Amino acid sequence: MVHTILSRLATSLLVIFGASVLVYCIMYLLPGDPVLLMLDPSSATPEMIENLRVQLGLDQPFYIQFANYFGDMLRGDFGKSMINSDPVLPKILEHFPATLALTALSSIIAITIGITLGVLSAIHRNGVIDFVARLVGLFGISMPTFWTGILLILLFSVQLSWFPAMGSDGFSSLVLPAATLGLVGAGFIVRMVRNSMLEVINEPFIVALRAKGLSERAIMYGHALRNALIPAVTVIGMLIGDLLAGTVVVETVFSRQGIGRIIADALMAKDLPVVQGVVFFTSIIYVVLNLLVDISYSYIDPRVRRAVRT
Amino acid sequence: MNRSISWMKYMALAAVLVMVLSGCGAAGGSTNGAAQASGGDQAGQAEGGNLTFALATSPDTLDPHRSGLAVTVRAIRTIYDNLVVQLPDGSIKPWLATEWSVSEDGKSYTFKLREGVKFHDGTPFNAEAVKYNLDRVIDPATKAANSLALIRPYSSSEVIDEYTIKVNLESPSQAFLGNLSQALLGIISPTAAQKYGDQLGKNPVGTGPYTFVKWDENADIVVAKNKDYNWGPETVENKAAPHVDTITFKIVPEEATRIGSVQSGQVLAAETVPPQNIAALKNDPNQQLLQANTVGLPYTLFFNLRKAPWDDVKVRQAVQSAVDVESIVKTLYLGNYERAWSALSPGILGYDASLEGSINPDINKANQLLDEQGWVKGADGIRAKDGQKLTLRYVDGSPNREKRNDIAAIIQQQLKQVGIAVEVEITKDVATVIYQNWDYDLYGNSQVNSDPNALYAFYHTSAEGQRPTLSGLSDPKIDELLEQGAVESDADKRVEIYNQIQQYLIEQAVILPIYVFPYTVAASKKVEGIKFDSLGYPLFNDARIQP
Repeated sequence: MVHTILSRLATSLLVIFGASVLVYCIMYLLPGDPVLLMLDPSSATPEMIENLRVQLGLDQPFYIQFANYFGDMLRGDFGKSMINSDPVLPKILEHFPATLALTALSSIIAITIGITLGVLSAIHRNGVIDFVARLVGLFGISMPTFWTGILLILLFSVQLSWFPAMGSDGFSSLVLPAATLGLVGAGFIVRMVRNSMLEVINEPFIVALRAKGLSERAIMYGHALRNALIPAVTVIGMLIGDLLAGTVVVETVFSRQGIGRIIADALMAKDLPVVQGVVFFTSIIYVVLNLLVDISYSYIDPRVRRAVRT
Repeated sequence: MNRSISWMKYMALAAVLVMVLSGCGAAGGSTNGAAQASGGDQAGQAEGGNLTFALATSPDTLDPHRSGLAVTVRAIRTIYDNLVVQLPDGSIKPWLATEWSVSEDGKSYTFKLREGVKFHDGTPFNAEAVKYNLDRVIDPATKAANSLALIRPYSSSEVIDEYTIKVNLESPSQAFLGNLSQALLGIISPTAAQKYGDQLGKNPVGTGPYTFVKWDENADIVVAKNKDYNWGPETVENKAAPHVDTITFKIVPEEATRIGSVQSGQVLAAETVPPQNIAALKNDPNQQLLQANTVGLPYTLFFNLRKAPWDDVKVRQAVQSAVDVESIVKTLYLGNYERAWSALSPGILGYDASLEGSINPDINKANQLLDEQGWVKGADGIRAKDGQKLTLRYVDGSPNREKRNDIAAIIQQQLKQVGIAVEVEITKDVATVIYQNWDYDLYGNSQVNSDPNALYAFYHTSAEGQRPTLSGLSDPKIDELLEQGAVESDADKRVEIYNQIQQYLIEQAVILPIYVFPYTVAASKKVEGIKFDSLGYPLFNDARIQP
């Protein structure tokens, strides 16, 4: 087990490095000059533009810029924003909790709705609950987050005044954004859980359990669900990553603070150090998430645990 | 059958929403949106309270000298004062400077400064502070943005005594005094500037009616009433400390959310209302709509005169006749934006009202002009000459700010009728496409400015080594007029000069003016006294919140 985790950690470091290099290259090759974006194009003189370029080290060749950048990052210095000279790392750390809270609550919403509806719809196949669950699945997958967000604002803020339309003050402002993201996630999980439950229900061991006289409830929740959850956990692991990415849209729609908002703004402004910093940071989170998913398999499914041991 | 399915859809939707909310309804119910907006229990006669104001974009910095965005001005207007103020009629009145005189040659200004003014950090306001400010703008280390263009042709200043300063220019400028009234040349505390360096934008200190409290990035900027304030300018009634305790500028980029948050009462006012929401807000008994036309250059499409065939005045005039600006503005802005007729917007000194109604769509004239120039319609309906198709490359920045992308689409349709193919390119990267590669035939821009001298930067032949202007116009006659306009001290003569320039630009079809941008604010009826300065920026000195 320890050995597996260590080797996974080593590949993880490689993944993080790769992601950094890739993003650096993409940002470098993207059209558009950050200096021109920083200065007002209608009043900046060529002299001002040149001075700023030298100050930011942008007159250096690509490999030197990259080496400087990566060297600093290894020393824990993520640099400063080109736009407002804010140091990048403290900025990310300051905004991360808000994004974490959003991702966490939306995951809880997605998993709760997703698994409940998925299981119920498989058990009551072709019934009313099944119909509702499939509709939720379709709705969650096909509605753009952006659109869902605005619908929720119109209904729950403007019409009913139950929740604030925007902001990051307290729990009540977290509800609508988390519900928006949660609905998307629920859509995926419902479909996944429903399908794998249906498969498991038709397997011979269920018939065997029935023959042994176990109650239907014990069979479904004690045995079928446990088996159906393994593919669902994979999906949920990936989904949390998706939800993290979804915060870019949701944080903008609901004017929340968070790293999604930061990266959206930084991309617009071609603020290289900030984009790099956020990507570096989030790639670490993705890697850790995947690691956790892998470990959780072995707890749900004894076969995996045994396979690791041998 | 269909009906029953759609009914089930609603049921399903409702069921989902109930499930989502049942988990978290209890906690959410305790905080009511409307209660947040009024911010505390400020009973009493409309004194105090927290005014929440939703901004459409985030300010870049609260350092006026380094900002390049109009949205910044909405916030920094509350923190900083200027030496002078400009009234809507264009006249310049005292503010932090009580009086001033101009030398014979127009190259130096001597200001008497107001005594007893203190910056929010306690630093006294005096001639030294003013000198520090003006020198700071032109110091390359400051990395000044728009303020640098405003302060030109400033060269140096001399402190005469504690409250007298002499400001020297390289050449006379009629725009200089007016520019000193602009918020981007607001007076900052020298102590704070030295202490915070390039972080002044996060720790702004001025002499204004409100003091800076905090700025949570992407969330809000909070300013609080400056109790010692008693030097308000003539543009406001209340010269003393403001009525409200605090203003919270919330940053809400998403249009629907911004309007939703003012309708739900979560904020008391929200800026930049999209035209499609204006009618609904006008009919809302709880809301009011405040509007101020911005002054300067209206949204104008510039031909790139350096590229053929747009160097040919007849071809440009053909486009001018083929584009129906009236219907574009009516269709897109539903009667809420005014159509522009000239290179300047109404309300600025020298605006030539005689141009109103001068250009009307005339398809026959457009066709005739193009025929005369030898552009012949081909089988595909597109004109060609010497094997060259008549195509116009129309570049616009993304996203669809003020529906500018839609203007491009309509013009594309309109020009097709006379046989001009329009290629529309929407790009975020206008800095490269427009200002570096000059790869466009038509490109739109607008500018907020208080003086007609703003035309200089757009139409004067650009000097060797300087970046070319958007139109690439180079006409000695116009150059001369622009130079005269910058220095002419007789107001009537100045108006005459700028009238000539505006007429030339329309007659020669150098530009297609499209619309005058109204700054629109939706506010709760509880809010009173939000005013607008001569450029169309909001002022909060008189603002009150009725309980």
